[in-house]
Amino acid sequence: MDKEHWQKLSLVEQLGNIGAEISRARHWEEKGDVESRAKAIERALDLLSLTIADKRWRLRLKEPARLYEILCDVFAGKNTYNVRLQMLENYLSPFAFAARRDK
Amino acid sequence: MAIQIVREKIALGAVKKMAQETFGDMVKAVVDVEREVMAVGGELHADAEAVLLSDDSRQQNLWGINIYPEKPQAERIEFSALINIRPSQGNRSAQIQDVKLREQIRRVVSKLVGA
Repeated sequence: MDKEHWQKLSLVEQLGNIGAEISRARHWEEKGDVESRAKAIERALDLLSLTIADKRWRLRLKEPARLYEILCDVFAGKNTYNVRLQMLENYLSPFAFAARRDK
Repeated sequence: MAIQIVREKIALGAVKKMAQETFGDMVKAVVDVEREVMAVGGELHADAEAVLLSDDSRQQNLWGINIYPEKPQAERIEFSALINIRPSQGNRSAQIQDVKLREQIRRVVSKLVGA
């Protein structure tokens, strides 16, 4: 994803798109495809990094930064926060809805 | 949509309208269980939390929830928010784990939102 393009999206659009990668990761997890799951999470982390680097959100980073930490925890298989991909999908899917609401 | 601090009871219809303006079926809220007020609306729980902190709330008393105004009252509140992960207070999950705390939050929301 091109940084310039990404940083033209609203926060809701950015998080909605990240949610799409999490949905993919969960899909591959259900299929038992470990590699595809990992790649989807990596893409989500890359996009979330772009969100965190987006200067427009510099005063609103607490939650995206926490999401990044949780996703890294899920990726590493540590389960420190007792958060599964389903929960992350539930957290992010409303953003996808909100992003498309006025389209 | 602007984040609103609710100090007195508001109509359920008002919450439905807020939900329609953002996530459709749900509105995010942060409840101050000590002051018995809540901040409603916004895209992130952390945004509503920041509003209450500016209003002199203390972080240890703030908990994030999602309100589904179209659901029956018993199912209306979901106790999940990233800001709830607070190991120092014994909550190691996005879900609020303490049953008594959930009840406290339910009471505050019942006080502030019409049936």
